[in-house]
Amino acid sequence: MGKGVYAMSAKDNTVLVKSRFNDVDDKNGISKLFDKAGVYVIALLLIILGIIVSPTKFLTPDNMLNILRAVGMLGITACGLSFVIYSSQMADMSVPSAMAFSGIITVQFLHFGLVPALILGIMFGMLIGLVNGIVVGYFRANAILWTLAMQFGMEGIMRYVWSGNQLYPDLEPGTSGAAFVNIFRMKVGPVPLLIIVMIVLYIIANIVMKKTKFGNQLKLVGSAYDVAKCTGINVRRTVLYAFLISSFTASVAGIFITSMNKLGVFYLGEGYDFKSVTAIVIGGMALSGGRGNIWGVLGGVLVMGLLNNILTFIGIPTAVQNVFVGLVFIAVVALHTYKLRKVGKDYA
Amino acid sequence: MAGKVALEVKNVSKRFPGTLAVDNVSVEFHQGEVHALMGENGAGKSTLMKMIAGSYNDYTGDILIDGEEKLLHTPSISKKNGIGMIYQELSLARPISIAENILVGRLPVKYGVVLDKNKMIKEAKKCLATVKLESLDPEKNISEISQHQAQLVEIAKVMGNNPNILVFDEPTSALSREEVEMLFNIITDLKNKGMAIIYISHHIPEIFRIADRVTVMRDGKKIDTRSIDDVKPEELVQMMVGKTIDKFYSKRKGKIGDTYLEVQDLTRYGFVHNISFKARKGEILGFMGLSGAGRTELARCIVGIDPIDKGKVIKDGEDVTPKNYDDGINKGFAYLSEDRKSQGLFLRLTNEENILSALIPEYSRSGIYKKSNAGNIVMEQIEKLKVSPPNPKVGVGSLSGGNQQKILLGKWLATEPDVLILDEPTRGVDVGAKQVIHDVVTQLADNGTTVLLMTSDLPELVGLSDRAYVIRGGHMIGEIGKEKLTEETALLAANGEGSVCDVC
Repeated sequence: MGKGVYAMSAKDNTVLVKSRFNDVDDKNGISKLFDKAGVYVIALLLIILGIIVSPTKFLTPDNMLNILRAVGMLGITACGLSFVIYSSQMADMSVPSAMAFSGIITVQFLHFGLVPALILGIMFGMLIGLVNGIVVGYFRANAILWTLAMQFGMEGIMRYVWSGNQLYPDLEPGTSGAAFVNIFRMKVGPVPLLIIVMIVLYIIANIVMKKTKFGNQLKLVGSAYDVAKCTGINVRRTVLYAFLISSFTASVAGIFITSMNKLGVFYLGEGYDFKSVTAIVIGGMALSGGRGNIWGVLGGVLVMGLLNNILTFIGIPTAVQNVFVGLVFIAVVALHTYKLRKVGKDYA
Repeated sequence: MAGKVALEVKNVSKRFPGTLAVDNVSVEFHQGEVHALMGENGAGKSTLMKMIAGSYNDYTGDILIDGEEKLLHTPSISKKNGIGMIYQELSLARPISIAENILVGRLPVKYGVVLDKNKMIKEAKKCLATVKLESLDPEKNISEISQHQAQLVEIAKVMGNNPNILVFDEPTSALSREEVEMLFNIITDLKNKGMAIIYISHHIPEIFRIADRVTVMRDGKKIDTRSIDDVKPEELVQMMVGKTIDKFYSKRKGKIGDTYLEVQDLTRYGFVHNISFKARKGEILGFMGLSGAGRTELARCIVGIDPIDKGKVIKDGEDVTPKNYDDGINKGFAYLSEDRKSQGLFLRLTNEENILSALIPEYSRSGIYKKSNAGNIVMEQIEKLKVSPPNPKVGVGSLSGGNQQKILLGKWLATEPDVLILDEPTRGVDVGAKQVIHDVVTQLADNGTTVLLMTSDLPELVGLSDRAYVIRGGHMIGEIGKEKLTEETALLAANGEGSVCDVC
C-alpha cells in the first residue's frame, strides 16, 4: 500500500472530526431525548396507551403493583444476565436450569432450616455459573452453544436424580416449608418482598457496573476482548465473574418462582432465558457488549411488564402475548443495528 | 541474455489523496529475465504492481505490452494480456480441492451442467507440472498440504492462465531455506521458458541469488535500474534509504545511566530462543529485524502477555519476570502493541476511557474504582501529545491514524512505566504525529525511562536509538553501537550480512 492512504494532514482531520461532531449535535430535540431516556420514553408511551385502553383500571396503584410483581422474577434474572451480555458473551441460556436447580435444592434441604436451605440453593445454582464461566472464560467455548448444552444437560440431570418428580415442601404451619412458601407472598407494607429484592439488586448491580474495578474492566472486555487482554486485564476471570453473577440472580429468582409455585421441578424457569435477553436488548444494552447501563435494563423489564399487562387488558391470551414479545425483540434488534450502522459505529 | 521488452511502463503516476504514491516512473521488463523491484515500505512498489495488475482505473501514463499500448483498468483485462500476480497472502480456498482451486472460474463441464471430473484432474495435473508438483494428488484439499506446497499451487493456478509476465510479491516470507531454494529453481525454469518475471523482496541476498536486473524505488520515484552484476549490496541499500535529514531527530540531552534492565536467556520455544541483553536507565535501545524475526514475540514475553519457557527478566537488580501482563504492568513494564486497531485501542470508547484503561487497578481501592483519583492525567496526556481534537469525551474511533496512535501512546505513558517497549510506534501515521511521538519518546528517555524500540522504519531506528540489537529468526544475532549505527549497517545486519555487527 502506498504512503498516501495514511498521510492525511492534521487540518483535514480536524475538519473531518468536526463534521462528525456536527452530525451528532444537529439531531433534533425528540431524537436527542430518545437517545438519553431511551426505553423510559417507550414505557411512558405504553402507560398512555394503557390509560386509553382502560381508563379506569389501568393507572391504579393495585395494577401498577401487579405489573411490578409480574416482572419481578424477570427483572432479577435480567439484572444478572446483563453482566454476561455486557461482557459481549452474547447470552446465558442456562438461566432456566439455574432457577429450577436452586429451587429444587432449597426444597430438598428445607429440613436443615430455611436459611441454610436458601444458602445451599443459591450455592448450587451458582455452580452452574461457575462451570459456564470456566468453560467459556478459560477454554473460550462459544457462550451460546455451551450454555445451551448446559441447560439441556442440567435439565436431564434434574429429571434423572428426582425421577421427573415434583418436590413439595412440608406446608405444616411453623415449619421451614411454610416459611419458604411465604417468601413470595411476604410484603413490606403494601410492597411485595420480590419487588424490594429486585430494586435492591438493581442498585447493587449499578454500583458494581459503574463504580468497581470489576465493572469498569468488564466494560473494556466487552468492548474489545483482545485489546483488554493487551491492557493487562485478566479477561478470563472477568468473564467467569459475569457468569457467576448471572447464575446468582437466576438462583435468587429460582427461589421466588419455587416459593410461588409451592413446588420445585426442573421446568420452572422455562422461557426466562429469552425473556431476559429481550428485556436487556429493549433496555438498550447491545448484544455486541460494552454498551448500555443497568437502569436501561430495568426499563426494558418494565416495558415487558406494561406490554403484557396492556395485552391482557385488550384480551389477548398469554400464548399470543409471547408472539408479541418475539416480534418486539426482532424489531428492537433491527432498529438498534440500523442506528449503529447509520452513525458508522458498527466496529467489529 | 535478455529478450525483447515484454512490458514497459512509461511515465506512470498514481495519486492517492494527499500524496503521489507512484511518481512518473518508467521501467522496462524483458522476456527471459528476473527483474527485482526493491524499496522500503511505502516506496510505491506495491502500488506500481497493482497498477499493472489492473487494480486502478485512474493512473496516468502508458503501459505497453509487447510494444502495444494497453489500458489496464480492470484485473480481468490484465489477466487477458498475460499478466499473472502471485501475492504474499495466498488466495486459495482452504476447504476445497487443489484441482478446484487451480481451475476456479473455468471448471470443465460436460452435458452443459455436470462437472467433468476426469478432465478437471487432467487439467490440474498439467498446471501442477509447471511447478514440478506432478506427484501431488489434485483431489487433496488445500488445508491438507504444506504452506510451501500451497504457494506452488498458487503459482500453478496463475500459470493456468498462460501468463507471459509473472509478478511475485515477497514470495519467500513464509518459506524455509530449502523451500526457497526449490522456489528459485522453478522461477529459473520459468525464466528460461522466456517469461518476464518481476520479483519484489526486501531480502537483499535473495535478490543477488535470483535477479538479473534490479530497480530501486523510493518515495514513489524510480531511483535507478541496474544490472545485478554492477551493483553491490551496500549500494543497493544506499539507493533504497537515500539521504536522511539529520535535523529531523533532535540530539539527546539526557545522560544514560547504569544497567537497569537485564534479560537473561529468554526462551519461548518456536518464537524466541535464548535471548539475553542489557539495557541501561534512560537508554533508547533499538531492535532491528525483518518482519517475522521475533521482535513482537520478544516484547510480549518480556512484559508477560505470552508465557515463557525459560529465562529471567531482571530490573534494578531484582528478578521481576512477570507471571502475566497484569503483573508486568505492576512491575513497571508497558508494551505499546504493534496493531493499534486489534490490540491497542478500544475503538468504541472515548479518549478518556482509553487513556485510563490500563490504570483501573491503580485507582481502585478494595475493588472500588475511583476515576476522580486519576485527576488531570487524561488532559495532561492529550496536551503533551497534541491530540486533535483535544477532547477527552470524543470516541477514539473517529480520530485519524496519527491521533489514535498518540492516544495509544498516552494510555501507556499514563501508567508511568520504568521500561516502555514500543512496537512499531509510528506505523501508518502522518509526519506531524510521527514528530510529536518521537519528541515525547526522546523526552521520556531523557527523564530516565528505559525504552526498547522495535521498528522496521530505519530512519526512526537510527535516529532515536542509542544502540541496537539485531534479531533474526528468533535469535539474537548481534549488537550495533551508536557510532556504527546507520541505516545501511542496520539493514545489512538484519539481512544477515554479519560483519557489520559485533556478534554477541
